[in-house]
Amino acid sequence: MFKAKLKEAVLCLSAGRVTLKYPFAPSDVPPKFRGRIMFDAHKCIGCGGCANVCPPRCIVMEDMGEVTRITFYLERCIQCARCHEVCPEDAVWPTEQFETATPDKSDLTSDMTVWMSSCQRCGRCFESDNAIDKFRSKRWRGRGPGEANKHGIFPTKPPIYFEPPKQLVREEEDL
Amino acid sequence: MRQHQQQEFLLDLWTHFPDVLENFQEQVKDQLLATIPREALPAVAKHAVKQLGARFVISVATDMREKDGDYAVSYIFAFDEEKKFLVLQSRVPADDLKISSITPEVPAADWTERESRDLLGVVPVGHPDDRRLILPDDFPKDIHPLRREYAYNEIFPSEPGNAPPPKPAPEGTTVVPLGPFYPILEEPACFRLFMDGERVVGSDYRGFYNHRAIEKLGDSELNYNQIPFVAQQICGICGQVHSCAYCQAVEDACGIETPMRAKYIRSLLLELERIHSHILWIGLAGHIIGFDTVLMQAWRIREPVMWLMERVTGNRKHYSSNLIGGVRFDIDEAAADDIRRVLAKVEVEAKALTDAAVIDTTLMARLKNVGVLTEENARALAVVGPVARGSNVSIDARVDHPYAAYKELGVQIQVQDGCDSWARTIVRVLELFESIRLVRKALDDIPGGPVMAKIDHDLPYGKTGLCSVEAARGEAFHYVLSGDENRPYRWRLRAPTFQNLQAVACMIEGEQLADVPISIGSYDPCFSCTERVETLDVNTNQVRIYTSEELQELSRRKNAANPHYSCHSERPTARRRSHFVKKLPPYGGEFLRSETKNLPPM
Repeated sequence: MFKAKLKEAVLCLSAGRVTLKYPFAPSDVPPKFRGRIMFDAHKCIGCGGCANVCPPRCIVMEDMGEVTRITFYLERCIQCARCHEVCPEDAVWPTEQFETATPDKSDLTSDMTVWMSSCQRCGRCFESDNAIDKFRSKRWRGRGPGEANKHGIFPTKPPIYFEPPKQLVREEEDL
Repeated sequence: MRQHQQQEFLLDLWTHFPDVLENFQEQVKDQLLATIPREALPAVAKHAVKQLGARFVISVATDMREKDGDYAVSYIFAFDEEKKFLVLQSRVPADDLKISSITPEVPAADWTERESRDLLGVVPVGHPDDRRLILPDDFPKDIHPLRREYAYNEIFPSEPGNAPPPKPAPEGTTVVPLGPFYPILEEPACFRLFMDGERVVGSDYRGFYNHRAIEKLGDSELNYNQIPFVAQQICGICGQVHSCAYCQAVEDACGIETPMRAKYIRSLLLELERIHSHILWIGLAGHIIGFDTVLMQAWRIREPVMWLMERVTGNRKHYSSNLIGGVRFDIDEAAADDIRRVLAKVEVEAKALTDAAVIDTTLMARLKNVGVLTEENARALAVVGPVARGSNVSIDARVDHPYAAYKELGVQIQVQDGCDSWARTIVRVLELFESIRLVRKALDDIPGGPVMAKIDHDLPYGKTGLCSVEAARGEAFHYVLSGDENRPYRWRLRAPTFQNLQAVACMIEGEQLADVPISIGSYDPCFSCTERVETLDVNTNQVRIYTSEELQELSRRKNAANPHYSCHSERPTARRRSHFVKKLPPYGGEFLRSETKNLPPM
C-alpha cells in the first residue's frame, strides 16, 4: 500500500510542467496537418471533382449555365482533404489554419464562380484513376443539374438558376 | 475445448438439418452463406450456438423490395476457433413480415431483433420483449425509417404517447434513475436501477437518445469512398476501427486486393489507437472511483500519443487514412522514427503508472469482485473484447478472424479468469504493452510497395462482405451488401458496446449502488457509437423549460434558418464575409479564366 502510494507520488512529481503556453504563445502544427481549406479561383477548371468526393457535402457545386459556382460551407468540413487529393489542378488545398471558431457560421462560407466556356472544357474534365471516384454525374454533386432523388428530395437544396454573375458579385461586395 | 476442425462443424450442420440448408456457398474465403426457410431459423441457430459453440454476432434485415420483391434477414454467427463466419439468410415476403425469434434460444440476439422490428418492421414472433428499442418516444407507430421508401432527411410528424412502457419494478424495491444523461461518462444513456436497500436487484435500460442516420446515409446518399470518412466519425476514440472495418468488408465483397504495405499501415494505426484508448480507459476508471491521480497521470502519458497521431496522419483523432483499396498516405522513415521515439517514452511511463496501480490496494478494493460476469454468462450474451477476455473467454478478432497484417504480426491473446472489473483492468494493461510490441514489429517488418490498389472497374452488385475488427472495446463488426449506384445496398455495423451493454443487467445485479458506475465503466462503454441509426431526439422531462414539442419546433426553426442543413428552405440572399475568408477579386478581367488557357491538346 505504502509502496504503491510512494510510486505514484514519484510519478506525479517527476512529470514537471506539461501544459502549453498556448494561446499566449503560438502553437505549431505538424507538417502534414490538415487545417482549413483554401482555394484558388484562377486555377479551378470547374470540374467539380472536389464536390463529388466531399464526404460531408461541404463543397456544393451549382451549374448556372455560363458559369459554375462552387461554394465551400466550411462549418461542415471534417478536414479530410479529399478535395485536395482529387483536384487535378491543385486549386484547393488544406492550410495550417486551425483557429476557425466564430460566432457566425456564415463566416465560414465562401464561394468562387468560374466561367465555363461551352466546348473548351471537354477533355479537361476531371477523370479519376479510381473507378469508384469517377465523376459520373456531372455538374451537380451526385446527380444531374436540378435532379431530385427518387424520393423527390434534392440532395442539399433546390438548384437555382442564377441572375447574371455580375449582379451576384456586386451583392457580395456591398456587405 | 471444442474438437471441431474446419469442416466438421459444416458436416454436423448438414447431417442435422439436411432439408433446410440450401444454397451453401463460400463467396468470400471463410465467409459461408446459407439460405434457410424462416421457420427453421431458431432450431439451426440453437444448434449452432449450443452444440457447435458458435458466437452470435448480429442480425441484418434488408429491404430488398426493389430487387427481389421481399425482405432478407441474415443472422451472422462466428466460429472463432475455426476462423469462419456463417450467415444464415431467410427471405421474408413483404406482406407477411414475420420471423420466428431466436432470442429465447440465443439471448444475445435480443437487441438486434428489436432493432430490426423498429427500423424495418420485421416482427420477431416469440420475442420476450415487445417494447420499442431504437426509435424515439414520439416516433409514429407504423413508420419504419430504414425502409427504402423513406429519404434520409425526411421529418416525420411527432406522435406523442408511443414511449415504451418502463419495466415494472419488483415488489418492495425503490427505483433509482441513473441518467438519462449518464453522469460518469457524460453521454446519453438511462439506467433505471431497482434497489432493495443498497443492493441492485434488477435494472432497465433505455438509450439510443443520440441517433444519427448513419446506416441510412450509407445506403442512400453517400458513395463507397465517402463512407470511410463518415464511419470514422461513429466513435470519437475508435474511428480508425470503423473506417477500416468498412473498407475491408467492401474489399472482401468485391475481391479487391489491398497491397501489403497498406495492410501494415492499417494495423499500425489500429494498434496506436488501441494504445491511446487503453490509457484513456485506465485514467477514466481512476476517475470513476474518485482516484483522480490516475486520471491525470494516464492522460498526461496519453497526450504524446495523440500528438504523434497528428504528426503521422495529419489529425489528432480522425486520421482519414482509409479508402477502399488501401490507405491515403504512406509512413516515411522520419515518421517511423518519431513513432519509435514516442513509444519508448510512453512504454516507460505507462509501465511506471501501471506498476504503481496494480499493487495499489485502494484500487484493488474498489475493483476486485465488482461487476462480476461469469464465463457462462459472458458466452451466452456473446460479449466481446476485454470484457469477454476478462471472463476467461479467449476471443480476439485479430487472431480469430485475421485482417490487415495481423496474420503476419502474430497477436498474443491476453486472457484473465477473474471475471470482475479488476480482471478487465489487467487485460487492458497487458494489451497496452502487447500493442506497443506489435507497433514496433510492424515498423520493422513493413514491406515496400504501393499503398493503394488500382481499381479500374465498377464494383459489382449483390456481393456480401463481412469484417470484424478488434477495437479497444471489443469486436466492431461491419456487413456490406454491395449495390449498383456506386454505394452499398446495405451497410450494417455493430459497435462493440451494442453487445456489451446487454450484459450490464446481468453484471450489476447484486451490486452495491456505489459500485454500479465502475461496473458499467469497466467494460469501457461508448454509448454514442452504439447509437447510429435514426435522427430526431426527445426531451427527457428533467428540466421542464421546454416541452418536447417546443424543443422540436425550435430545432426545426434552426434548421430552416440554415439552408444548407435543410432541403426545404430557400437560399439566403445575403452572406457576410469576415476578415479571414478569402476575398474574391472583383468581377471581370482577371477573375474570368482565360479562354485559351485550358484548350484541349490538339
